[in-house]
Amino acid sequence: MVDLNATLIAQIINFLILVAILAKVAYKPLMQALADRQAKIAESLETAEQEKQAAEKLKQEYLAQLAEARTQAQAIVEKAAKLAEQTKEEILKEAREESARLLKATQEEIALERERAIAELKGEVVTLAVAAASKIIAQNMDEQANAKLVDDFISNLDGKKIGGLPC
Amino acid sequence: MGHGGGGHEIGGHKLAHFAGLTFNLDTLYMTWLAMGIVIILAVIATRRLELVPRGWQNFLEMAVTALLDQIENTMGPKGKKLAPLIITLFLFLVVANELGLIPGLTSPTNDINTTLGLALMVIVLVHILGVIERGPVRYFKHFFEPFIPFVIINIIEELAKPITLSFRLFGNILAGEILLIILGMLVPYVIPTAWLAFSVFVGVVQAFIFTMLSMSYLSNSLKDEHH
Repeated sequence: MVDLNATLIAQIINFLILVAILAKVAYKPLMQALADRQAKIAESLETAEQEKQAAEKLKQEYLAQLAEARTQAQAIVEKAAKLAEQTKEEILKEAREESARLLKATQEEIALERERAIAELKGEVVTLAVAAASKIIAQNMDEQANAKLVDDFISNLDGKKIGGLPC
Repeated sequence: MGHGGGGHEIGGHKLAHFAGLTFNLDTLYMTWLAMGIVIILAVIATRRLELVPRGWQNFLEMAVTALLDQIENTMGPKGKKLAPLIITLFLFLVVANELGLIPGLTSPTNDINTTLGLALMVIVLVHILGVIERGPVRYFKHFFEPFIPFVIINIIEELAKPITLSFRLFGNILAGEILLIILGMLVPYVIPTAWLAFSVFVGVVQAFIFTMLSMSYLSNSLKDEHH
């Protein structure tokens, strides 16, 4: 039952042949596959890490930009408010100047108008005086008529229509 | 199980004589069959290697990765060079042990020539690796440690290694097959079936034990001596 013979050597050789065949057929590709997978997983992890970092960086950038934009907007609003204030001041000043100028011009015009009216009135008075004088000269025939004329004139003066002189 | 029917007779072998040497023919045939099955399984598993493993590839990869982890744990990084040998040893022994449970076939491991051959191969490798790792002087010196008289114990230990290793496997498998046949003759059906199921388990366990012990012997010669 327990008889040793050359089978022992043959079995060792058989086994070593099996090891050689399996090493070539199975282990090499299997190890390669395992190594490939390991490399792939490591690469994926690394890529994911990188992408995460990139995303983080982008986020920080966006946050910074947002903050900057906010500051800028604030500045713009402030500037606009300042400008509006300034403009308001200018407009008010101009309006004041304009009104002062208008007032002055109107006053001057009124004064001029008055002067002209006075001059006109003077002219009227002269004409009236001349007309009155010519009437007096035409009717100055007798003492009686003269007196009546003066009387009429005075009585007319007493009349209500002192400004409504005929021109 | 074809007892006496021109097929396999327990303990006896068909002999072939070639160049003055005697060979057990049935053991050789069964060895080649087992080798073929192992190769076919390995080829099927690695025929189309995908990045994402599926099915049989996944199973073999799991087995190989588990064995690799075991090898790395017990033998350190240097053990990786021996990984193909150890994984092949395990696969071959599992297939060989289970082969005898198929009616009409016998296990190549029920022949002491197979088991002792493999055990001697492992032990020779242990000594070769020991010499390579530590240098011949230090290696042979360690047989005389801690005291010179210990050389007797150490040599007995070294001789016992291949013998225990080979006889454990040989005895388990042969006993399993003998008992299967005897039970089949004595009590049909239930008990032989239960024993058959147990033998399947025994075959895997014995393959595992043989592999683990080989691994531990090999790792001892790879590591530096502790005592």
